[in-house]
Amino acid sequence: MNRFCTAFFSLAVLLSAADNDKVFEAMKAELKRSSTLKLNQLETPYFVSYSVDDGITYTATATNGGIISANTGKFRIPEVHIRVGDYKFDNTNYAGGGFGGARYDLRSFPLDDDPLVIRQYLWLATDSAYKGSLQQIARKRAALRSVTVNEQLPDFAPAPKFTLLQDFKPLTFNAEAWKDRVRKLSAVFNDFPALRASLVEYSAIDGYHRYVSTEGTEIRKGETIGSVQIRASAQAPDGMIVRDSALFYTGDASKMFPEAELMKAARTVGEQALKIAAAPMGENYSGPILFEGVAGAQLMAEILGRNLHIARKPVAPAGMPSQAASTELEGRRGVRIMPEFFDVIDDPTRPLFGQEVVDDEGVPDKTVSLVEKGVLKDFLRTREPVRGYTESNGHARLAGSQPAPTNLIVTAKETSSLADIRKKMIDLCQQRGLTYAIVVKKMDFPSTAALDEARKMIAGAGAGRSAVSQPLYVYKLFLDGHEELIRGVRLRGLNARSLKDILVAGNDSATLNYIENNAPFALLGFGASSAAVSVVAPSVLIDDLELTKIDDELPKLPIVQSPALSASK
Amino acid sequence: MVRKLCAPGRTLASLQHCKGPPTSVISSNLVKILRIPALLACSAAAFGAGETTLLDTMNQELVRNFQALKSKADTTPYFLAYEISDIESHEVGATLGVLNSQGNSHSRYLDVTVRVGDQKLDNYRRVRGDRIQFTSGTPVSIEDVPAAIKPRLWLETDRVYRAAADRLIRIKTNQQVKAADRDQSADFSSEESYAHTEPVYKTTFDEAKWSGMAREWSRDFRAFPDLLSSSVSVSTSADNRYFVNTEGTKVAHGRGFARIVISASAKAKDGMDVSDFETFEAFEPSGLPSAEAIHAAVKKVGQNVENLLVAKSAEPFVGPAIFSGRASGVFFHEIFGHRIEGHRQKDEAEGQTFTAKVGEKILPDFLSVTFDPTQKQAAGTDLNGWYEYDDEGVLGKPVKAVENGVLKSFLMSRSPIEGFDHSNGHGRRQPGLEVVSRQSNLIVSSTKAVPFDQLRKMLLDEIKRQNKPYGLYFDNITGGFTTTQRGGSQSFKVIPLIVYKIYADGRPDELIRGADLVGTPLASFAKILATSDKQEVFNGYCGAESGSVPVSAVSPAILISEMEIEKKDSGQDLLPLLPSPLAAKGDSN
Repeated sequence: MNRFCTAFFSLAVLLSAADNDKVFEAMKAELKRSSTLKLNQLETPYFVSYSVDDGITYTATATNGGIISANTGKFRIPEVHIRVGDYKFDNTNYAGGGFGGARYDLRSFPLDDDPLVIRQYLWLATDSAYKGSLQQIARKRAALRSVTVNEQLPDFAPAPKFTLLQDFKPLTFNAEAWKDRVRKLSAVFNDFPALRASLVEYSAIDGYHRYVSTEGTEIRKGETIGSVQIRASAQAPDGMIVRDSALFYTGDASKMFPEAELMKAARTVGEQALKIAAAPMGENYSGPILFEGVAGAQLMAEILGRNLHIARKPVAPAGMPSQAASTELEGRRGVRIMPEFFDVIDDPTRPLFGQEVVDDEGVPDKTVSLVEKGVLKDFLRTREPVRGYTESNGHARLAGSQPAPTNLIVTAKETSSLADIRKKMIDLCQQRGLTYAIVVKKMDFPSTAALDEARKMIAGAGAGRSAVSQPLYVYKLFLDGHEELIRGVRLRGLNARSLKDILVAGNDSATLNYIENNAPFALLGFGASSAAVSVVAPSVLIDDLELTKIDDELPKLPIVQSPALSASK
Repeated sequence: MVRKLCAPGRTLASLQHCKGPPTSVISSNLVKILRIPALLACSAAAFGAGETTLLDTMNQELVRNFQALKSKADTTPYFLAYEISDIESHEVGATLGVLNSQGNSHSRYLDVTVRVGDQKLDNYRRVRGDRIQFTSGTPVSIEDVPAAIKPRLWLETDRVYRAAADRLIRIKTNQQVKAADRDQSADFSSEESYAHTEPVYKTTFDEAKWSGMAREWSRDFRAFPDLLSSSVSVSTSADNRYFVNTEGTKVAHGRGFARIVISASAKAKDGMDVSDFETFEAFEPSGLPSAEAIHAAVKKVGQNVENLLVAKSAEPFVGPAIFSGRASGVFFHEIFGHRIEGHRQKDEAEGQTFTAKVGEKILPDFLSVTFDPTQKQAAGTDLNGWYEYDDEGVLGKPVKAVENGVLKSFLMSRSPIEGFDHSNGHGRRQPGLEVVSRQSNLIVSSTKAVPFDQLRKMLLDEIKRQNKPYGLYFDNITGGFTTTQRGGSQSFKVIPLIVYKIYADGRPDELIRGADLVGTPLASFAKILATSDKQEVFNGYCGAESGSVPVSAVSPAILISEMEIEKKDSGQDLLPLLPSPLAAKGDSN
């Protein structure tokens, strides 16, 4: 479940019947021909893969009881990968540009199942990719004459042939009912005239993934996904714009969320946005912070899940910096990164949102034991060899074969009840002369921020620090045990190293389902690709974390009262 | 700023037909608005009430926001306008008999205009090198639900108001530190107010039928095995626009667009890309040519590309040439039309080729050029540049830009220039961008018109007179671009697709490839010798500051004594290494 398409087409054409998949046959036929490509005495392809993803998308967006857009569309997206040279040294892992290959003015991929025209497209796309690869390997060789590479890793990991042939079973999806539901959900916000803006959106994708490679791997599998996003924003008296949202994801679009649950969530989002807007500003703080419930899973998704791989440094031409930044856990295998009562696995087999059989490179997803007794043991890996590893464990799930977790399961052997954790926090406060501790009950991850707000969040992290998402529901826990909601704070200096400072884990467990897209804060609607991920984790108390008060310039309150408030007077 | 007229490629769509003269009242203040509801009621009664709901919602919020801003804001607005563009479009495309694109969309975009200051000096003052952009074309509900639409109008008004007030402050500071503008005209003109409501224009699109036709037509390209890419697409759209302003204008109007685009491309042995296209436009699908005519056009495009593959490459050349009517239309659009867009005359960054030339001869005296948004057809073809009201709610009016060679007028939005105080209904935009003056239907007419055969004879005479080996015939042009700004040279370049060498010694005409036309506008105009007696239509979409707008260019063929072509920058791509799977298997159909 890894491809989303924002192009919306309608669906007069039926998807291919699986037992006679002409698209698949065309892919195989052209793949066979592609291995005969040769230009003069230059390298021939040693690896070619094709994928064709198609399906139907259903979406609708509404605000305050009115539909903004509603679409049903069909898509079909091809991808061609070609490698020249050999597994040890090929055209990839090179950072220089300028190898577009031949331009053939290729248009959209055929939607009809005509094998010849599909082959015509693949023929030209392959030819162009082959010529581009030849230019690329030549430039890479030239670059290597003037730069020294510390460690010569192979460029591609061989993978055994894998076959998975599932039939396509089209969903019966009632788009009209969902359009009505989204309209109805959005009308809930008419009961909250003090909100600034609100939006409800659903999308369902009934997709089918096909993959063939010259290594003999053949995959055909269905991939469906359904989501509902409910968002609202409000403006505080000082002008600060605050948000809340409820995001629902499922890997089975035929069983999307009960209406009552969504209606309740919409109401909560409206109430919560107004409560945050009315809450007092927080202050700078240093001390223990409890990430409770889903905030614990959000924290693990962001600072652990996104760092559980090693970034391969491509060969760069002299004078050009190698682009990939190291991840925070790189080079720490065998090192304790969490308290010893923690274990972390990535388990693609669990029937959660992140469940997956085979990755984008045709490698079966394997269960990986990542952290044992607090010690980092392994990484999420793809077919791109990285220091210390030459094999994939089936986690190539994002564009450019970037790794992402499937179901990331964080478990703690020693736990405390949330009540005991609060007692411990109050004790710590008393020892240190603090008047309150902090409880975070929800983070903005994945983020529903607008682009300019996201930019501020990145800038707000300070130079050289990697930005983490903003806490949405932040409470002061006072010594007498009562809690007060605050707004306007950011976490400072929180990163993968903070995991070592976990004092205690809760005896609870929350599940976060989200779409990983490699954008900062997994910003909704951004990123070049997406992977369905579940993170299961307990609440965690981390010591010595800092909050800083947001001092961004604030927008002014609107001069004119909102039409809703104006009408309700 | 580079401007383009491009034929293939879809963009938006726009505006429908007005029956009878629009009701209008002269009004420039709020008091007089009170007279309008009565008039609106008449049109609502005539056309059914449904269309006024959105306008009413917009107007209620317009009035509420305007009054509140006037009483509460520090810098008070003197003018507010809302435009909602409701665009519903459908498209299918096919290649080689197979559907490869299919799209339906329906969206509404909101554009808000807030003017602070006064008509003499407001936030829209053009300041050298400063791009004016307040509006954002924010999406609003496609359903007429006031509770859903009003919050968007309110928030967007607030945002635009703040940006407007900010810019006015900057402009006033700027005024004090720089020399006075040459053009002392005001920033905003006073215009009539209009009240006009017509039924919502609805598009019809039989998807199954058009998918079938697109497949069938595109299959004809299989007869041309050297094509690397080809397509036939059919699209229709309904573009309904709703406009209200604080001067009392309330306009709802719409039109349809139907379009067939045929295109094909291939790569010559030397790596040069060659291509050809044909388009057909009409207001409605029923106005498109017959299926047979499209089959013939597909075959012609396919054959042209095959011929181009074996044609000789162009050599740099200066000499006489004929432009077909369509090619001439593009030529005039680029080198003349863009230079008489009103706002360029007062922008100090612009080249202002014609600013000081009103009353002077700029074309041969047998030529006149009119821009007429009210003309619906020419040479039996529906015109893309037809509209009733522009995007400032002003009635589109015909503009006699050049009469008998003498420059008379410019294309005007509500941004006045010296000597031209009023709009002539040419303030246009793509939703989401600020209005500037743009072209509509450009119509070239001639009093020195001869049958085409005679024009060709005149060309042959001119070739001999100039002692040239050959002349050129430009049959099809893909569009072009022109630079009007001072920073660049005042030149143009148009990309001809189908060009023939015409020999004076009786040898047959010879197709050539890779010729780019270059030149400078004033010099080129003086060299037009005569025209044919038959108008041809080029329908397309023009891109400039205010985005893509539908336009037409109507012209007879023209004979020019001297034209320059240069060699096209060609690629060095090799042809595909393996044979086409189509060729390998033969035509299975």
